[in-house]
Amino acid sequence: MTAPGVADPATPASGTDPPAGPGDAERDAGSFRDPSGFIFWHDGQPYRQIQRSFAAEWDAFEASPLKQRLIDGGRLIPYETAPTERAQSADAHAVIRPEKIEFISYPYEWTFGELRDAALLTLDAQLDAMAEGWQLKDASAYNVQFRAARPILIDSLSFEPLEEGAPWVAYRQFCEHFLAPLALIARRDVRLASLLRADPDGVPLDLASNLLPWRTRMDFGLLSHVHLHARAQRRYAGNEDEGDIDAAKGARISRQRLEGLIRNLRGTVERLRWEPAGTEWSDYADHTSYGDAATADKARLVEAFVGEATGSRLWDLGANTGRYSRIAADAGKRVLAFDIDPAAAERNYRQLRTEGRSDILPLILDVANPSPGIGWAGRERRSLLDRADPDITLALALVHHLAISRNVPLPMVLGLFADLAPWAIVEFVPKEDRMVRRLLATRRDVFPEYSLDGFRAAATERFEVVREAPIEDSLRVLFLLRRR
Amino acid sequence: MLELAYIDPGTGSLIIQTAIAAAIAVPLFFRHQIGRFLSVVRRRGDEDKPSAPLHDSTRGR
Repeated sequence: MTAPGVADPATPASGTDPPAGPGDAERDAGSFRDPSGFIFWHDGQPYRQIQRSFAAEWDAFEASPLKQRLIDGGRLIPYETAPTERAQSADAHAVIRPEKIEFISYPYEWTFGELRDAALLTLDAQLDAMAEGWQLKDASAYNVQFRAARPILIDSLSFEPLEEGAPWVAYRQFCEHFLAPLALIARRDVRLASLLRADPDGVPLDLASNLLPWRTRMDFGLLSHVHLHARAQRRYAGNEDEGDIDAAKGARISRQRLEGLIRNLRGTVERLRWEPAGTEWSDYADHTSYGDAATADKARLVEAFVGEATGSRLWDLGANTGRYSRIAADAGKRVLAFDIDPAAAERNYRQLRTEGRSDILPLILDVANPSPGIGWAGRERRSLLDRADPDITLALALVHHLAISRNVPLPMVLGLFADLAPWAIVEFVPKEDRMVRRLLATRRDVFPEYSLDGFRAAATERFEVVREAPIEDSLRVLFLLRRR
Repeated sequence: MLELAYIDPGTGSLIIQTAIAAAIAVPLFFRHQIGRFLSVVRRRGDEDKPSAPLHDSTRGR
């Protein structure tokens, strides 16, 4: 840790906002809300500058047993102290280099179980902090990331000394970022998770209260933290009454009661359950359209093609419950297992937790409608394609859904794969296949280009065909493609 | 605390949270009291065990 005062001369040549470019420092577009510090990037590594205004709190945190307890417990990202010459401006107190998260994902891409585990992590960190005389000053879902398939807090500046008698400032944020969306998924409809994508500040509590079934008022936790909380927000909205402002500023809560509140929130979150059944694909893996011989041959080909492609980061698009993600991971790849179906992704997550695997992370994605950039200037939370850097795209039993169900021409489908990664392993499912016949059963076939020849032509626009192998006992063909 | 907060804790959120925390504390308090009462009763029961039933039946009179 830097001694106080040493940070003073640590000013880069320009002092402020150096131009962004490869190797140059660049302030992270999503790191501006908390004035106590910010993230910037240098040579592809994340750094966090701590401002002088937060120096006392930071030095105390660094010296506290809490810091080590959180890091050792896997609740806070480990970091190293960086040279203060790295600082981006003269008002820096210190600079740290946190461990880099391999892929930044956002709450609207998480499964129910992932969001729930992130919520529990946040509350457990708050309980840890309180035990040491500290507290979380924010409870943003964006402060949680998945590292080795487990949630971890990435904001080392989230902790401040606990002020005896003060209420929890992050109570509202916790309810909006975690409790409301979890309750909506568990008690109303899993598709309401998309509300997180609609608003970077979480789900407004009055909206959650309106959407939740009336019977959720029978649950003390949901009644209090969502319904009554929403009513209180409405009642005191606008800060029109001086008396209300005084009441809020004077609100006191003993440490024991505060702990009771956090534990009650934790119990409320734990009681929320969602069983992944009844959505589109979750039973698909058990009811595939081809036999054992084809399945075995496909697995063998995928393993061989994955072994031939170079690089370690693989995106499995349409991963379902992760059968082929596991084959890729067993071959040494680190896998993001995307699926459009929240139930399939959730089943995959639960299974992976049971297996104790850390090399596969399930995420929710509609390939035809990937996460856009949201928040300030549309850049605070980056679009999925902006965050994409896989070496290999794996797209099994996916292309026909994009080309036929979603009317995306094959050259555009292959073009997206080429934009994503230098390698692609793609399964082509012809019109004669039972699954495609089903897709075309009730609609006019407006897809004359959808054929094996059409696929080859589309692929060779951007790729070179390295391997092409028919899958035994089926009409399907597996391709290994390398970008030109 | 409020001076340091960079997010808006919300007027209603601050006020309702103290009320909810108080409501949570009520059953906790009673549970604690009931627990104390039961442990006292149990202890007394244990103390009473070696005593003769006749002695016990005379106690209330």
